[in-house]
Amino acid sequence: MNIYQPQLTLVTAITEETADTLTLRLEFKDQALRDSFDFHAGQFGEYSVFGAGESTFCIASAPTRKGFIECSFKAVGKVTSELREVNVGDTVGFRGPYGNWFPVDDWKGKDVVFIAGGIGLAPVRCVIWNVLDRREEFGDVTIIYGARSVGDLVYKRELEEWASRSDVKIVTTVDPGGQTPEWTGEVGYVTPVVEATAPQAQNAVAVLCGPPIVVKLTLPVLDKLGFADEAIFTTLENRMKCGLGKCGRCNIGPVYVCKDGPVFTAAQLKELPAEF
Amino acid sequence: MNELREVARTLLTDGTVRVIIGWEDARRGARPVFVTDPAGADKLIFDTRCVHNLVTYLNPRRDNVAELGKIGLVVKGCDAKAVAGLLREAQLTRDDIVLIGVRCGGVLEEAELPEAAPLSPENVAPRCYGCDNREPELVDHLLGESQPEPPRPVMTIDERVAALDGQALEERWAFWTEQFSKCVRCYACRQVCPLCVCERCVVEKSRPQWIEASPHPRGNLSWNITRALHLAGRCVDCGECERFCPVGIPLSLVNRKLQQIVGERYGYTVSDDPETPAPIGDYRLDDKQEFIK
Amino acid sequence: MTNAAPTRETYFISDDDLRALTAELLGAGTEVIAPVAVDVCASPSAIASSACLRPGVAPVDIEYRALADAAELDLSRGLPVLSLKQYFLPEHEALCSWRQHGTEVEIEAVPTEFAPRVVLAAKPCDSAALAVVDKVMNWDYQDELWNGRREATTIVNLACPVVDESCFCTAVGTAPDDAKGADALLTPVEGGYLMEATTDKGRALVEAHGARFTAETGASGAEQRGRQAAEERAAARVRVVANLEIDAESVRDWIDTHFEDPLLAALGVRCNGCGACSSVCPTCHCFDIVDEEEGIGKGTRRRCWDTCQAPTFTLHASGHNPRDSQNPRYRQRINHKFSIYPLKFGEVLCTGCGRCTRVCHAGQDLVEILQAIDIAARRPEPVVVGAEPAGS
Repeated sequence: MNIYQPQLTLVTAITEETADTLTLRLEFKDQALRDSFDFHAGQFGEYSVFGAGESTFCIASAPTRKGFIECSFKAVGKVTSELREVNVGDTVGFRGPYGNWFPVDDWKGKDVVFIAGGIGLAPVRCVIWNVLDRREEFGDVTIIYGARSVGDLVYKRELEEWASRSDVKIVTTVDPGGQTPEWTGEVGYVTPVVEATAPQAQNAVAVLCGPPIVVKLTLPVLDKLGFADEAIFTTLENRMKCGLGKCGRCNIGPVYVCKDGPVFTAAQLKELPAEF
Repeated sequence: MNELREVARTLLTDGTVRVIIGWEDARRGARPVFVTDPAGADKLIFDTRCVHNLVTYLNPRRDNVAELGKIGLVVKGCDAKAVAGLLREAQLTRDDIVLIGVRCGGVLEEAELPEAAPLSPENVAPRCYGCDNREPELVDHLLGESQPEPPRPVMTIDERVAALDGQALEERWAFWTEQFSKCVRCYACRQVCPLCVCERCVVEKSRPQWIEASPHPRGNLSWNITRALHLAGRCVDCGECERFCPVGIPLSLVNRKLQQIVGERYGYTVSDDPETPAPIGDYRLDDKQEFIK
Repeated sequence: MTNAAPTRETYFISDDDLRALTAELLGAGTEVIAPVAVDVCASPSAIASSACLRPGVAPVDIEYRALADAAELDLSRGLPVLSLKQYFLPEHEALCSWRQHGTEVEIEAVPTEFAPRVVLAAKPCDSAALAVVDKVMNWDYQDELWNGRREATTIVNLACPVVDESCFCTAVGTAPDDAKGADALLTPVEGGYLMEATTDKGRALVEAHGARFTAETGASGAEQRGRQAAEERAAARVRVVANLEIDAESVRDWIDTHFEDPLLAALGVRCNGCGACSSVCPTCHCFDIVDEEEGIGKGTRRRCWDTCQAPTFTLHASGHNPRDSQNPRYRQRINHKFSIYPLKFGEVLCTGCGRCTRVCHAGQDLVEILQAIDIAARRPEPVVVGAEPAGS
């Protein structure tokens, strides 16, 4: 089968995370593949609606949970708008897993700090699950997550689950003005909340994902807290098509985001040209 | 040529413009040049190799040109018509540009020659024949000496259009299918056209995908015909689309045919007077509309 | 014979025998791709080009085509308008197709094995380009469509006399008499050609048509022919070296460390972003993938040629475009070809065929651009007074 030919998956569950963000749970139609499919946290796939085309999302479920994969997306373009209309039982194409991944094994024994904004929680959720499924291997786990408003928070069910765990510290925040009367979390942009939470940097790694502005403003804060550039991990988005390093579209500076990324350390990010 | 260089030098020195866009002589022949230093004005040339319609550089989407500052643009008569087109459609404000007109007697078919050649029926660009704007009016300066009429080419574009029209439908269909099969969808025709200025071209719209993106004959026919229709009544016959096409599709024939139709039905010919409204964008009570049933 | 250590055995093949070989291949049903002189005016209508109307000038374009007849084979050594790329990465190519009934989808695979075919009289720059693109096509993931076509094809180069002053193959790691990416090389000599097979496929071709070739070892006149061939090839090299000499490695490193340099940042001001350069280029391989519906519940997923010069190449669904003017887009072209690709794969993504320069009517001249970068790369870095010396 040629590398551009997709596998077939069945939509088995749909969750409306927010007004414009959806999570799909997919199971491979081929039984053998369903059982054997494996990937690493941080990798992505090309999901397709036949007739509309393919779109790139990270695999938002964890490799420790077998039998299905999940993706989360906002309907912003042609393919995502069609994906938004699928029903349970529909067929979605899938190619992957592609790209590099979060080096979770290197983090054994360390504290892990997860910072995400908006839909940036999708790639991070995958690695949070991964870490929590292997909880005893890691030190303190801190999650700091913010969105524009309460309605924009994704994975609300997971946020509650994580909040109910005693071995996880979680801080959720919404932008000023985004709170509802019932909101009991923080109010403030992600960056100042990170600063206030002040996760300690000694023997720790940080995973940071979100809109470019959140990443851009939070990196200096982490630096001030003492996180080395090599200890901060993020995922980059860039326009992708083939997902496997041939079509040239995602090339930024010396890297192809789909092959050399999408996971990069802050140190690697600094090597890339600011404008591509 | 000295006159041109003098005017350019002055405009730059006294700050009227920040960049002069004209033609220069380079390793492979004449090509566009962007002069920002008054000393660079000596690079400017104007001869029969100056085929390029420089008005394409006024496209509002060209940020990298706009950032150079106020432009002084060298224009031939056909080029001035393109400026009028942009003014008519409010893509440009007259005060934003200084136009340096050159009196023109026609140009060659290609610019990439080591020396300017005198014009003959064999080498003149066919579109020059019958030019009605050899001394452009829509200009701030008009330079150069009066030029004779361009020679008549071996076969004019109108004659070639008529020859095609004279063929049976099946032959014409076979001709155009073969031509459009060559198209590789590089969009050179669109990129170089001074009037293709849409912020988002119809071919790039994906919801819905009006025109297929793949370069198979079906998609190519769709693209080329759509573009031609979008230029009906606007095309100034500069011929750049055909010249830039890397696979040699005779696009000027399609554009000229549509021009003829617009002329017949709306009594309109493209001029360099921006006040004359074009059929697209102007409604008259007596517009023919027998096709509305 | 085939198990012996490969030697670069030279054969002689006469003009007639080369045509006969072509006829043999065609007769056996093998596709033969070769340069063909296309009379521009033999189109259905003689008004295809105004050039048809000029007395005494017969406009001829050379194109690589699948031969219908051995007589079509053009050995004039003119440069075909498009490169061989279209035969390995077609302008549009089906990746798979689908049929959908309700929620059930069936995918139809496309073949990844192709019938054996031969390319004759290829330009060395075009074959070398295939070897260069092989690298990305096999970077971890094997592109079976590209590889399948490469495996099925035996390529015989014809040594090039150098087309004009826009050629610069020697400046970017190949030569007018190279067999890189190909399986054999023909060099013109008196009465015919010297043939050297450089790979097993090339040797197999010679063996399969042994009657057409005579081994040069011990043949009469071999020394003279050998000298002729060597002189022809050396003269061609001298000609092309005179067009452009650069230190490709220092160009590569300079681009890598001078991303914001005004020399690179302003190269695109003349450029129209049309991508004609990408379409004629033998090494440009960027592609788009689209789904095209061809009826209710069926369609084809295709890839088609794309170009980093197009304004929407890097446009995100959010509306953000990291390369939103022609300057960064043109810089990307130079960067990818002369720095990024060589750093990643050890090959310059360019074989100096010069087509981009010839086809660009806006005057973008790659010879001029590379020359300027080479000069900048050789210029010593300005010394800042008072700065710490390196290493202290």
